[in-house]
Amino acid sequence: MDNPYQTQPAKIISITDEAPNIKRFELKLDKKLHFAPGQIIFLSIPGFGEAPFAPCNAPDSDFLELCVRRTGKFTSVLHTLKAGDGMGIRGPYGGGWPLQTKNEKLKTPATGGKNLLIVVGGLGLVPLRNLIWGKDEYFSSDAKVQIFYGAKNPDEFLFKKDFNKWKKQGIDLQLTIDKECPGWAECVGEVTILFDKNPIIKNASAFLCGPPVMYKFVLQKLAEKKFPEENIYMSLERRMHCGIGVCQHCAVGSFYTCKNGPVFRYDEIKNIPGAI
Amino acid sequence: MDQKEFSKFVLHLLADYRVYSPQEENNQIIIAKLVDSEKVALDKRLPFYPWKNFFVPDCETLFEYQGIMLEKPPAVSNPQNERRKKFLPPLAKGQTRKKIALLGINILDLRAILLYDLVFALDPYYQARQQNALVIGHGFEAELPDGSIRKFSQDDLEHLRFDIFLAEQPKERKQLLVFAGSEKGRRVLDEFGYRGYQNIEFAGHKYSKEWEEKMNLWRDKLKNHHNQKIWDELGKICLECGKCTIACPTCFCFRIDDTPSLDLRSREIDGKRQRCWDSCYYQEFSEVAGGPARHASQGDAGGHKFLNTTASKIHFWYFHKFGRIPDEYNMMGCVGCHRCHTVCPVDINIQKVMEEIENSQ
Repeated sequence: MDNPYQTQPAKIISITDEAPNIKRFELKLDKKLHFAPGQIIFLSIPGFGEAPFAPCNAPDSDFLELCVRRTGKFTSVLHTLKAGDGMGIRGPYGGGWPLQTKNEKLKTPATGGKNLLIVVGGLGLVPLRNLIWGKDEYFSSDAKVQIFYGAKNPDEFLFKKDFNKWKKQGIDLQLTIDKECPGWAECVGEVTILFDKNPIIKNASAFLCGPPVMYKFVLQKLAEKKFPEENIYMSLERRMHCGIGVCQHCAVGSFYTCKNGPVFRYDEIKNIPGAI
Repeated sequence: MDQKEFSKFVLHLLADYRVYSPQEENNQIIIAKLVDSEKVALDKRLPFYPWKNFFVPDCETLFEYQGIMLEKPPAVSNPQNERRKKFLPPLAKGQTRKKIALLGINILDLRAILLYDLVFALDPYYQARQQNALVIGHGFEAELPDGSIRKFSQDDLEHLRFDIFLAEQPKERKQLLVFAGSEKGRRVLDEFGYRGYQNIEFAGHKYSKEWEEKMNLWRDKLKNHHNQKIWDELGKICLECGKCTIACPTCFCFRIDDTPSLDLRSREIDGKRQRCWDSCYYQEFSEVAGGPARHASQGDAGGHKFLNTTASKIHFWYFHKFGRIPDEYNMMGCVGCHRCHTVCPVDINIQKVMEEIENSQ
């Protein structure tokens, strides 16, 4: 019987500063880990425990990439590590974003949406980066992709180096920052303001990811624009220990954020107290 | 099987197994290691604590680690293991050098085993523990703390998982009926030399029609007719002490933590990764890092709790038992033992709470 708690070794190849307190780690694993966009893996640092993260590497990358903010005990230890240091990895867990590859059907075919609206705040872009890079694998060549990305200030945007390449691919990338900042000529205001400044694409699925406080307001805007609830998907976050739907910490209603999530369809969770 | 033969059977078990059985102490039934075979108390009273620890240990070592490598701890009874021979550490809780026999588990606690079997079906630690354990049930009567008696019959046995089951004959109470529920049970009885047992084939869990309807009704109320007032009222009196989660046979939440080794002699392990009981009432159960510090003493280490009111915590506990577990396994996460009510310092009565939910709009 396989041991679901066993990890495989991973070595840090490089560390890049993406934003203040946010580092991107490139990891090499003995056995390459295949995951679907939106799935999570568990990082293990013996002596300090484990925590779940969403890989953000481009599909053809040789390395597993994790983008981590220093925010508590485990991530503080992670931020002290150097290239060459080792960790453990297990996973992937969860269902990821509902996608259909051209070659085979994945978990759930995306309902309704031929096009894709991505609304992300702060670190929320992390579980979507892989999807954006691989969009031709999951969406038809004439599908439109629109991204609304809000951050506190211009330094906090992640993966800035990818933006021009995405724009060249025809992706409609709209950025906004919370407050006025010298040198920033684009939109100012929380991410919901982008709904007022830009027409949102029709016939689309909406994939949302961001801090809990963001969801309430974005869902209000989507309702105002009459976006069908069964086309809205969101990635939830909870404390996790086992990753396989047994220890109960990440339970939301009758679902487990690790096993049945972290991506949930809005109409399936909107009536669960405490879900959003 | 008469009393004399039963005493011989207990001695037979003691020779090969570490036997745990209900025993009477200070007018209470407790579960303890059996040393004196005469002390076995096959009583209709439930033991104060459930048998949970033998199936879901309060703390178990998943791995020992060195650097980043995790290794399953060597089986203590394995004589080949050089490391164990060298250090022979004291037995950790739950570990044993002999096989275990659990003698005299009442039917309510046997019901909990059905749930453990489902939850931990793919858990190698649980499965190894079960191979090492002999489950002997007892009794067609279970006395609850309030004095009421739950009655069962032979018909209930095929929906319970056990190796051997003993029950007092209805007319001749000194005689025990003996049932074998597995190959292991048959083998043990045959080796002892008792052939008069009846075979029971486990047919899976099944409720009576009445209880199936109850489960569906309660589930529907919780999922589709959420009544915040009930939880707010309970939230005012519940102390979040978590005693119910310790006393409850079907509470199995656990956390996984790393503990550095303090053993200076051992250069071979840096520490252990352990799985220990947790409780959804405890403060950090739903806590994640990040979020603003709410108190100066927290410094940078503020955390966000998803279950941040007593009402939400107690709702989570009830919803797990009567909402989520039924959705997952088509059975309730409650065996009806009333231990939670018995230990609750503020007298929250699970039966009354479910009645209130059942009658709520």
